[in-house]
Amino acid sequence: MISLAGRDILHSAGRFALTGLGLGLLIGVTFTMAGVYRGMIDDAEVLLENSGADLWVVQQDTLGPYAEPSSIHDDVYRDVLGVPGVAQATNVTYLTMQTQSRGRDVRAMVVGFVPGGPGEPLYLIAGRRLVRSHYEAVADVSAGFTLGERIQIRRHEYEVVGLTRRMVSSGGDPMVFVPLKDAQEAQFLKDNDAIVNERVRTATNPSLNRPGVPGVLDALTASQASNHTVNAVLVRVASGRSIEAVATDIQRWQHLEVFTRAQMEEILVAKLIATASRQIGMFLVILTVVSAAIVAFIIYTMTLGKIREIAVLKLIGTRNSTIAGMIVQQALGLGVIGFAVGKIAATLWGPWFPRYVLLLPGDAARGFVIVMVVCVLASTLAIRSALAVDPATAIGG
Amino acid sequence: MSGGIRLEGLSKRYGNGETAVQALVDVNMSVDPGEVVGLVGPSGSGKSTLLKCLGAIIEPTGGRMTLGGTTIYDDGWRIDDLRALRRDRIGFIFQAPYLIPFLDATDNVALLPMLAGLGNGQARARARELLQALDVAHRASALPSELSGVEQQRVSIARALANRPPVILADEPTAPLDSVRGLAVMRILHEMARQYETAIVVVTHDEKIIPTFKRIYSIRDGRTIEHVAAELTQA
Amino acid sequence: MKLRRAALRPFVFGVVGLLLLLALAYVTTRSGPLAPVRVTVTTVAIGSIEPALFGIGTVEARRAYVIGPVVAGRVRRVLVDVGDGVHRGDLLAEMEPVDLDERVGASASAHERGRSAIAVAEAQLRDAQSRQSLTTTEARRAADLGRGGVASQSSVDIALQAQAASEAQVAVAEASLTAARRDLARLGADRGAALQQRANIRLLAPADGIVSSRDAEPGSTVVAGQAVVKLLDPSSLWVNLRLDQNRSAGLGVGLPAHIVRRADPQQVLVGTVVRVEPISDSVTEERLCKVAFEVAPPGLSAAEMVEVSLTLPAISGVLTIPNASVRFRGAQPGVLRLADGALAFVPLTLGVEGRDGQVQVRNGLSAGDTIVVYSERDVSEGTRYRVVPSLAGGRQ
Repeated sequence: MISLAGRDILHSAGRFALTGLGLGLLIGVTFTMAGVYRGMIDDAEVLLENSGADLWVVQQDTLGPYAEPSSIHDDVYRDVLGVPGVAQATNVTYLTMQTQSRGRDVRAMVVGFVPGGPGEPLYLIAGRRLVRSHYEAVADVSAGFTLGERIQIRRHEYEVVGLTRRMVSSGGDPMVFVPLKDAQEAQFLKDNDAIVNERVRTATNPSLNRPGVPGVLDALTASQASNHTVNAVLVRVASGRSIEAVATDIQRWQHLEVFTRAQMEEILVAKLIATASRQIGMFLVILTVVSAAIVAFIIYTMTLGKIREIAVLKLIGTRNSTIAGMIVQQALGLGVIGFAVGKIAATLWGPWFPRYVLLLPGDAARGFVIVMVVCVLASTLAIRSALAVDPATAIGG
Repeated sequence: MSGGIRLEGLSKRYGNGETAVQALVDVNMSVDPGEVVGLVGPSGSGKSTLLKCLGAIIEPTGGRMTLGGTTIYDDGWRIDDLRALRRDRIGFIFQAPYLIPFLDATDNVALLPMLAGLGNGQARARARELLQALDVAHRASALPSELSGVEQQRVSIARALANRPPVILADEPTAPLDSVRGLAVMRILHEMARQYETAIVVVTHDEKIIPTFKRIYSIRDGRTIEHVAAELTQA
Repeated sequence: MKLRRAALRPFVFGVVGLLLLLALAYVTTRSGPLAPVRVTVTTVAIGSIEPALFGIGTVEARRAYVIGPVVAGRVRRVLVDVGDGVHRGDLLAEMEPVDLDERVGASASAHERGRSAIAVAEAQLRDAQSRQSLTTTEARRAADLGRGGVASQSSVDIALQAQAASEAQVAVAEASLTAARRDLARLGADRGAALQQRANIRLLAPADGIVSSRDAEPGSTVVAGQAVVKLLDPSSLWVNLRLDQNRSAGLGVGLPAHIVRRADPQQVLVGTVVRVEPISDSVTEERLCKVAFEVAPPGLSAAEMVEVSLTLPAISGVLTIPNASVRFRGAQPGVLRLADGALAFVPLTLGVEGRDGQVQVRNGLSAGDTIVVYSERDVSEGTRYRVVPSLAGGRQ
């Protein structure tokens, strides 16, 4: 038995292929949407993974440092180091701000870190790690900076000495890693006008600017221009110790909030990403419905174009099931082409999206099954009309 | 006689009660294997209804029908699978060739045997044989869109013969043709009927081919009247 | 033979379908999470390290002076302005004398009066002395007479008493003179003090230098110790350098320094570390040291920001690896070594780090070992990997 569906497809190969291409692009968009969702979750996981930390110590009663602002003194890490079970505890600051380079603005999350401790990027794809204590930076490739480029962050210029990958904030902004002190200053120091303003204000305050005590004003101005806060302390627990136990210790004795990785994941995913993921979920549903409608319409149109041949086939004795099978096979063929084109397109254009698009094989397999099911369901309309054809119409009259 | 077409007192009523339409009242027809008879009649005479009954597309409501030696309807009783009957025992030749556009000539003809369960190779062999007999074997791998009208019709005749049916119904096969071609088609039909021992009923309006028939049935108001050739030449 | 479109079509379709399938297989296995992670490797070799310390410094004047009055007063005039060069002893500013002139005059007058008092006491002494000599002579005469029996005893007694009284008066006069002299000395000291105070309203430059700020204008009231003018010695400008404590190993006096001013970043100035501060900054966790310019550049100003690189002695003949290859397991640094097609984490003891990112390996690796430098993702022992020549470029 020859495949009627196959022959029909071969006969109108061009039209079928073009239809498959169009459907494939739509399916590709659907895959990309799902990929954006997975990418957002991966962004959050990667953010936590690449920080190299087991615990996050933040300001009490906050969900920081990513979901909420958190501010703690930069000498708290010394206390945390004293807690048994803590192998490393280092300060870290995070602030999303605009950086400038070559006339363009790039929005980045500036991370202040201490080399050798958690918070430093785990791997590089080019260049080297920081050697100097100031004015060097390691940037994520998605920022678009090249090695050796000088970028402007607040008041200073930094040389990009290393590049890394997949170091992004949960909002998808590329991370730029700079020494902690520079980041503290960037987070805190305002522009020159504001600083001058502040100085004048302090100087005109008679209780601060006493004539008999000349050194006070200078000391006060100096203290206004310094920053001794950080956003979090990242902790690596010594091997063999229970992470939860250390977390409880820190929390109890230091009046700080401590989160394990699992808790941070939940905060990021449940709180930060929740709204975006609902939106994407709705998009996926809409796209699937639209794809189903398009497949249904296309198959229906193709079937209507063959109504006479179907009448003839029925008349000369073709089984209904054979005819229905031909239609279903065509729908499935369209689905297979659409799936292949969609998966390839999504893989090819994924890297060009501003956010990370993660296409999982499991998602592809699920997508395949859904495409097949949708095609079968979409073909029912055409099948109904095909089976309703009266074979006698082949005979005039 | 076994084989051929036997219709005895066939009737067909559409609808029930007061709105019933009696399309066929009393139809009697007998065609032997190898015979080609004509069926003429004005529109509304029940000609298309008769054709549909003959083609096992619709079911009569009275009388008896035997095709190829098998009783397919007897006063309320009907054979089960009309569709299989159409596939195996009845060949159709339409006004237009109605070939499947995405199958080549060979596969158009081989389709029916394949549907009947024959292997692809055997079905195609038989198709080539028939195409040969109809003198279009040289166009065996052409698509219908590449065939001329005459060639298409010959392929459609081959298709009708593909399952070696005992009965072939031809609906106005010469309508679109001129007299030369029309007579040529009739010649082929006669030839095929004889060669494959098939009973062929040709529904026609075409006066030019009337002389090719030995017997003709005319139908009027749901009744058939048999005419023999001698009568016709006189008319 | 004419190839028919119909015969060609299934062939074309088949080829396209096959290509599609191959493309699908390619994208599934070569990209996305199923694909092997791309890494670059390098061979560990003997090399040299040029370590350097880097910090930010501010230019300060080693010798800076705050010139102001020692008592509260009002500024009368200021003779210099910011940027003026002054020499030691130059008058920079003057305070209002207020009542000091009168005080000086008063003390001068008092001094004069004291002198007169001395003259009076001297005169009184002379007077008493003359009386004493007289009475002494008379007493002797009376004694003589008394011994001669000429005068009566009582007249002798009277004469003796007169002598004694005059001696006493001489003593009194002498005492008064001493007192007057001492008083004069006291008044002289008072006058000296008044003059000194008068002199202190003149603010003089204690050394050569330039005026770095003018803090009070004529007519303003300043308290003791408040600056009217500040000086600094421009030849004493040096850099107060701050180094991160954990990146200050090897800091010592004599290290050569390269100094770059914010104001002139193209020019690299040369200097030396002249002092390492004994007290570090515990709040900022920095060590402090002073770096002197070999040749102070023109236009250098105090409180300018500079970036300083201290060159430590280079070490050569050691195993070096790029610091990009260093990975951490917990707090332990190490690298991923490639051996027999498999990756293994090798803990290392690291030494000094050079300014170009090369770091010394003290132990853990041998020359010729292949280690992973760059990777697309965090790699560990079991990760499927693929070695490529370079990673940079391309997105994500």
